[in-house]
Amino acid sequence: MTCDDVQNAIELIAAGEMTPDAETASHLAACRSCAAALEAARRVDALLRQRPIPAPPAQFTARTLASIRRARWRNEQMIDWGFNAALAFVGVAIAIGVWIVVSRSGFTFAGNDALQLFGAGLRTFLQRVTPALPIYALATMLLITALGIWWWAERDAI
Amino acid sequence: MEPDRERELVERCRRGEVGAFDELVDRYKNLVFAMIHRTLPDPSSADDLAQDVFLRIHRGLPYFRGEARLSTWVYRIVVNVCMQDRGRGAQSVSLDDANARVSTPAAADRHANDLELRDRLEKAIAQLPPQQRVLIAAHYLRGVQYEELAEAMNLPLGTVKNQLHRAKRQLRMLLETDLK
Repeated sequence: MTCDDVQNAIELIAAGEMTPDAETASHLAACRSCAAALEAARRVDALLRQRPIPAPPAQFTARTLASIRRARWRNEQMIDWGFNAALAFVGVAIAIGVWIVVSRSGFTFAGNDALQLFGAGLRTFLQRVTPALPIYALATMLLITALGIWWWAERDAI
Repeated sequence: MEPDRERELVERCRRGEVGAFDELVDRYKNLVFAMIHRTLPDPSSADDLAQDVFLRIHRGLPYFRGEARLSTWVYRIVVNVCMQDRGRGAQSVSLDDANARVSTPAAADRHANDLELRDRLEKAIAQLPPQQRVLIAAHYLRGVQYEELAEAMNLPLGTVKNQLHRAKRQLRMLLETDLK
């Protein structure tokens, strides 16, 4: 039995995971260096067992759940944004498609008539609506402010 | 926690039952936080990383097949988070810092020596490779068994034991002069 053989088993013996056989025990009794190594390994093992167990901060659960809700909300926002963008893209594609079909099928004259009719209707509508425009503008601003406050509060709360 | 109760908790979380995930966080937060805190060379980010672990658990729950125990899966995520963080804030810590080795007067009590030794132990642990730090952190926490660690780290049981003994040997070498 050499010192190297014993040194390889020192940590196991120190942790109580291996009982030294007679040969190892007699070597440990005779060799001061190996005995000192075993004593040092036992102290390291004891120190590791005595390491303080750090505890999470008091509000850990609440903060963790809040951060999960925040991440989920961000994820949903991304999905919403992607859906809206896809919808807008499809709308534009359909409009372009319709325009191409109309311009190639000879319905341009009918289209021009329809456009003139629409323009006249829009002008009439604007003439009627103009006196009430400041009220509409104020209502729109209020609505935007309310939505902004809701978004901000929601973002802070989750 | 018994496997049946673990499965039940996972199912309740999957169904989105109110309070189920809170229960999961409450059940594992001490272990997750302690393991991360003990593993990182810079424990100031332990809080953020522990939250990150639970965020990953929340995201992964729908895909958790239940082949491993919930606790093993949690350890695996903790190990991954710790290993990914190894580059961040990693710094070589010298055991012979000017402040670390205060020459204690002869009258100083054993308590002061113990504190100094613990401080030097922490610095010695910080010098170990990340995998060995995780093993040391987990093995000396209550409830983390060799088998679960091996499964969580995707390593053979023998390798886990071998790495752990190597780590302890390395610590003994690093602290040799202090232990005499």
